[in-house]
Amino acid sequence: MDVARAAPVSGWRYAAGAACGLAAVALALHFSDPARAAGVANFGVVFSSLLIEAVPFIALGAVVSALIEVFVPARLITRLAALPASLQVPASGLAGLCFPVCECGSVPVARRLVAKGLTPAAAITFMLAAPVLNPVVIASTAIAYRGRDSVWAMVLGRVGLGLVVAMAAGWVMARAKPGELVRAEAPARAHEGRAAGFFGHLAGDFVFMGRYLVLGAAIAAALQTFVPQDVVASVADLPVIDLAAMMGLAFVLSLCSESDAFVAASFVQFGVGAQLAFLVFGPMVDTKLAVLYTGTFSRAFARTVVVVVFAVTLAGTLWIEVLLG
Amino acid sequence: MRTWSPDRLLSAATLASWAGLFWWLLASGRTALYLSGRTSWVVPLGGTILTVAALGRLASARAPRPEPITKRGALASAAVVLPVVVVVALPPTTLGSYAAARRSTLVTAGGFGSSREEIASGDVTLFDIAGAFRSGEAMRALTARAGREVSFTGFVDRSEGMPAEEFLLTRFLVSCCAADALTVQVRVVGAPPGRFEQDDWVRVTGALFPLGDEVIVDASDVSSVARPEHPYLGT
Repeated sequence: MDVARAAPVSGWRYAAGAACGLAAVALALHFSDPARAAGVANFGVVFSSLLIEAVPFIALGAVVSALIEVFVPARLITRLAALPASLQVPASGLAGLCFPVCECGSVPVARRLVAKGLTPAAAITFMLAAPVLNPVVIASTAIAYRGRDSVWAMVLGRVGLGLVVAMAAGWVMARAKPGELVRAEAPARAHEGRAAGFFGHLAGDFVFMGRYLVLGAAIAAALQTFVPQDVVASVADLPVIDLAAMMGLAFVLSLCSESDAFVAASFVQFGVGAQLAFLVFGPMVDTKLAVLYTGTFSRAFARTVVVVVFAVTLAGTLWIEVLLG
Repeated sequence: MRTWSPDRLLSAATLASWAGLFWWLLASGRTALYLSGRTSWVVPLGGTILTVAALGRLASARAPRPEPITKRGALASAAVVLPVVVVVALPPTTLGSYAAARRSTLVTAGGFGSSREEIASGDVTLFDIAGAFRSGEAMRALTARAGREVSFTGFVDRSEGMPAEEFLLTRFLVSCCAADALTVQVRVVGAPPGRFEQDDWVRVTGALFPLGDEVIVDASDVSSVARPEHPYLGT
């Protein structure tokens, strides 16, 4: 037997290779002075700011996810999963009121809940509803529209339609099995004790989600930097298309749900319906979330979420536009 | 017997790199280049969570059967650490005229700004200018203050075809992070031609004249200033 081959491999050479790659990036950035190229500097600022704001929420989501994995008994989740779907789905949606983090934090929590045995319908409803229904988002929407006639239409419309869209997506996923929804994780490692298990899951979730967040933020920053926003201005007066355009813009901008109302309120060329479409669709489906969903859940799920959220948001905002005249 | 697990040490280092970035942002005062004052609390929050996470991972990094670092794991960690390298290696820069040109045609600062009552009293600020675009009433309140002397700080944004003695004094309003920045601009007339370059930070003093969908400042003094510690105006 070849002793050298049987000896444990530490893999430090891979880490050394990655460190060399990062050092090369640092040197290239330092000596090429990208601040002289306005587009590159703009990309750097947007990319960095998206991540500096989102990473604490991913970390918070990873903490909650690890707490669920290590400290919440599986039998409790099983009991919740045994409740009728007609109760689980709306209750999961309303649970978003108690989880004041934006969309980046709710993804690892939903992933963990599904892996732990909660029905996909409930977990997905929670994941989509939390970024829209949480109290910080409701307050920021009210502040952004204060002093306008549409303030209540925007706040109530966002909360109501957000809940409906999240529940609709949950219902569509009701028949999915957890194994079909969540991408396979690396096999669980034997941790020694709860504390080691907690920090192991926390670190695992942070790195798992973090890499997709970085990729999503890079795409969002590139789109923000190189695609002019005024491409949607020309369709502000076109029925239905204005709604789709605002959803497309929300997808591209990838804003945090706690700040997007300030941006939406600035699109004065667009009506209430189009602004609502921006505020409901964006926190559920945007560039960085699309990458996160694709990495975390099955491709079929990612496709279904995009289609359902788009269709129900479109129908809902059309109905609201008709209602408001 | 327990020995150090390379995989656990790598993940502890990955967490520590982000924790270090947050503390460095806090110590260097660079948070304001990326976030508004309203959201800057996420920096100490992120620093605290990730420091505890890194220390916890390090404390449990000795294992009976140490896990090796895989190629996939090393790449994932490198991807997560990449933004830390970008933030530290890039010179401290902010959004400028490039961003203003790509945002201003559609997005105005209508979601921000002072109320009609705030515009009607006290010194006129760039927040008041932003607030004036919220409604007709607010704009009328600003128009009532025509001729009032104002002093604004911002950067120079001069578009093609603009007369040499004019530029747009520009400032970004940020709600959470620089990605949601909106522009507020006033047209400065009577500036010394050729003295200021694109993206130079200046303080303009002069008489204010709201005119249609534009606000004009007839400059009596334009002077160079350093970029403010808080380059973005926050909510």
